[in-house]
Amino acid sequence: MHVPDTPRTAPSARPATHTAPAGKRVVVVTAPTPAVPARGFLARNRTVLLFLLFLFLADFGLGALAPLWDRYSPDDYTARVGGCAERSRDLMFVGGSPVTEGIDPAQIAGVAWRGRTLSDAYAIGLHGGTATDFYYATKRACPTAPRVIVYGATASDLNDSRNEPHGTRSLLAPRDVREIATTRPDAANWTVRQYVTSKVSQASNVYRYRHGVRMWAATQAEAVFPGSCPDALVQATEQRDHADDLARCGTGYAPLKGYTLSRYDQMKAAGHAPPPFAFLNNYRTGAHLKYVHKLADWCRDRDTELVMLDMPVTADLEAKYAAEYAEYRARLADVARDRGLKLIQGKDAGLTDADFADQIHMTQEGCRKFSLWLRGRLEDAGR
Amino acid sequence: MGTAPVFEPSETDLGMIFANKYFLALLPVVLILYFLSRTRARKYNVLLVASWAFYAWLSPWYLWVLLLLTLIDYRAAIRIEDAASERGRKRWLFVSICANLGLLVAFKYTPFMYDNALHLGRWCGLAVTDRHWSILLPLGISFHTFQGISYTVDVYRRQIAAVRSFRDYALFVAFFPQLAAGPIVRAVEFLPQMHTPPTPTAKQVAEGLHLFLIGLFKKLFNADQLDVLFVSPVFANPAAFDAAAHRWAAVAWAAQIYCDFSGYSDMAVGIAKWFGFELPRNFDLPYLAANITDFWRRWHVSLSAWLRDYLYFPLGGSKRGPVRTYFNLMLLFVLCGLWHGATWAWLAYGVYNGLLVCLHRAFDRAATGRRFWDTVRATRPWAVFAWALTLSQLVAMLILVRMNSWGDGWLMLKSFAAFDVWGAWSPRVPVWVPLLVALVALGHLCGKLKLTAPPPVRAAGYVAAVFALVTLTPGVTKTFIYIQF
Repeated sequence: MHVPDTPRTAPSARPATHTAPAGKRVVVVTAPTPAVPARGFLARNRTVLLFLLFLFLADFGLGALAPLWDRYSPDDYTARVGGCAERSRDLMFVGGSPVTEGIDPAQIAGVAWRGRTLSDAYAIGLHGGTATDFYYATKRACPTAPRVIVYGATASDLNDSRNEPHGTRSLLAPRDVREIATTRPDAANWTVRQYVTSKVSQASNVYRYRHGVRMWAATQAEAVFPGSCPDALVQATEQRDHADDLARCGTGYAPLKGYTLSRYDQMKAAGHAPPPFAFLNNYRTGAHLKYVHKLADWCRDRDTELVMLDMPVTADLEAKYAAEYAEYRARLADVARDRGLKLIQGKDAGLTDADFADQIHMTQEGCRKFSLWLRGRLEDAGR
Repeated sequence: MGTAPVFEPSETDLGMIFANKYFLALLPVVLILYFLSRTRARKYNVLLVASWAFYAWLSPWYLWVLLLLTLIDYRAAIRIEDAASERGRKRWLFVSICANLGLLVAFKYTPFMYDNALHLGRWCGLAVTDRHWSILLPLGISFHTFQGISYTVDVYRRQIAAVRSFRDYALFVAFFPQLAAGPIVRAVEFLPQMHTPPTPTAKQVAEGLHLFLIGLFKKLFNADQLDVLFVSPVFANPAAFDAAAHRWAAVAWAAQIYCDFSGYSDMAVGIAKWFGFELPRNFDLPYLAANITDFWRRWHVSLSAWLRDYLYFPLGGSKRGPVRTYFNLMLLFVLCGLWHGATWAWLAYGVYNGLLVCLHRAFDRAATGRRFWDTVRATRPWAVFAWALTLSQLVAMLILVRMNSWGDGWLMLKSFAAFDVWGAWSPRVPVWVPLLVALVALGHLCGKLKLTAPPPVRAAGYVAAVFALVTLTPGVTKTFIYIQF
């Protein structure tokens, strides 16, 4: 059985004993206990205050490395708009992902327009964007007005059931939010919420660049432990390569890897059913269309010619969403007629399923073919 | 009866919980309003409204359940205190217990009982159709009903006075940090703190920060990552993995459930400290337990203590002979299992625990006082052996509650039992899984050694935790596992 040892204590000083003389009172005087000095606010809250200080410093330090995080998680909208705004452009293409993957400005640059050469071309294709986004992207991307803007439209651009949060985060200034609230009251609540959320999330660098840091960390971890995070590495590599390609090309044409590796005709032959195209669900038009008119007004005020281009899509998609495409085409024709704009029908390019990577995005070869065809149509229109 | 529960911490609309950005945004607002309020009444009004709003947000259909039980227990306690006769006191205690247990059973156990009645009917040859309905469980009902019962029982036992302010009692029941998943707070622990609104000390603020961040880290970094990376895929289809992967999944699941539940408890205790309140700690390094009895003193301490004080002791505890003692223990653990969930698997979990506790008690009684066993049990190798045996029993037990079917559970238990040192590793196990499990072990070790760091190191650690949480966690939307109970 465990018996604890008797604790040893240091022999204490014997208490002084005083024998009081008879008849005299003994007065015991106790020395005052030294008061423990009260700790000040800073000392008491040292851990919490240090935490806040370190948090601020670390967040600031992380922000100083913003280009590194941006490279691993690029903001595609900002990169494209910024790339276009680097200098004045003669010719600008704007639209959604069909423009991103379907127009190579390098193939079209040098086209003659009203007797002059449009030598510097750039394509702002915003994945998932709407006509509202394209208007604000155009405003921000043009330090000086281009001579010609080609709006490569597709049906989903005008679908009022859609709003693209990326555009709200990357393209809008406070006065743009106010403008949307008055122009499109249906989207006012959503836009304000998205905008405020995006601004609040940018208050902290660690939150703002969290995805870039995650992708960078995945890359570093893979270098140390190969195979430790393969999915994240694929994503990180693709995003980094895409950001590099976009910066390198100088025209806005940097096809995504996914679209360069697949072909729609081969997918069909292999029996793969295309996924549903949710961008055309609950199709209704009217509100986003106001921004096509705003784009036309903006061009008119700057003597820029606006050309409407109906981007080609696969026959399967058109057949599946026949009513939606009919409404979209009618709206596009109305705008072109009312505003006196040229309208080029992309389906006349004669693309087949072999030129598409999926239902709506072209392959690199399809893009080359379509861009050369478009160059010819623009030359015709600019005579 | 052929299938066990699907124990999947699914994505639900229980969005505003501690790891959610909306909660993290609203918490400072509640704190500011609380400290700006000058009077006791205003402070508690702020807390009560925030707590009810919290509940209504997470479980909008069932706020009435919380309010009804709060009202019943509040009135019952006053009636118990004011009753002139013992009979009257008993009657109102009965009303309170029946109301709490009645609603708990109705919401939680009706589908289970109905399904088993159907099976019995079929077995008797009756033509019965399957159940096509289900009951959504009110948030935290297993926790706040137990709090309500403990309150009225304590008033009945004259251990505390009945609360005369409805607001005070309602706040005790609904106090939002512990409302959803405990710890189960007793009235004797909480109500005295409410006399004057507590002002948090600097120490409490720092401890609250520590507990909140540790809890958040456990939940988002450990529990959710383990779940996404490995535990869910393996438990969803064990046949697709080898035996070593099964063993790692079982261990990872043990780490996950600990981090998930203790993470919630840590955050609850931490948030309460920011308001100046002290809640009991719910976990005490449970995976360092030297035996199963010790484990239940360290795991979900508030539930174990509740069951001991309000069930085991009233049944006679260990004072009515060995047979009655073992019966009481078995009953205690069977009910403990069923408290977690109304399924046969949870019942099996309770029986398994009860048997282990009874076996351990029998062994302890037989061995204590014998020189050989006393000597052996005092040695370090025995301590290591006992710890390893207990831990392996716990991991095996936890397979029961995560398995998707009895067949899957049996497969994983076989893999776990056939431990092979040379086949301990599997290429199917992501490298992060052992690292995350090692973090849990490290946490236990630091707790055991009571390691503390100077404030600058601690502050730097908190910042690293925040950065890791923001950048490396899969998301903030997974529901805490214990909320489902």
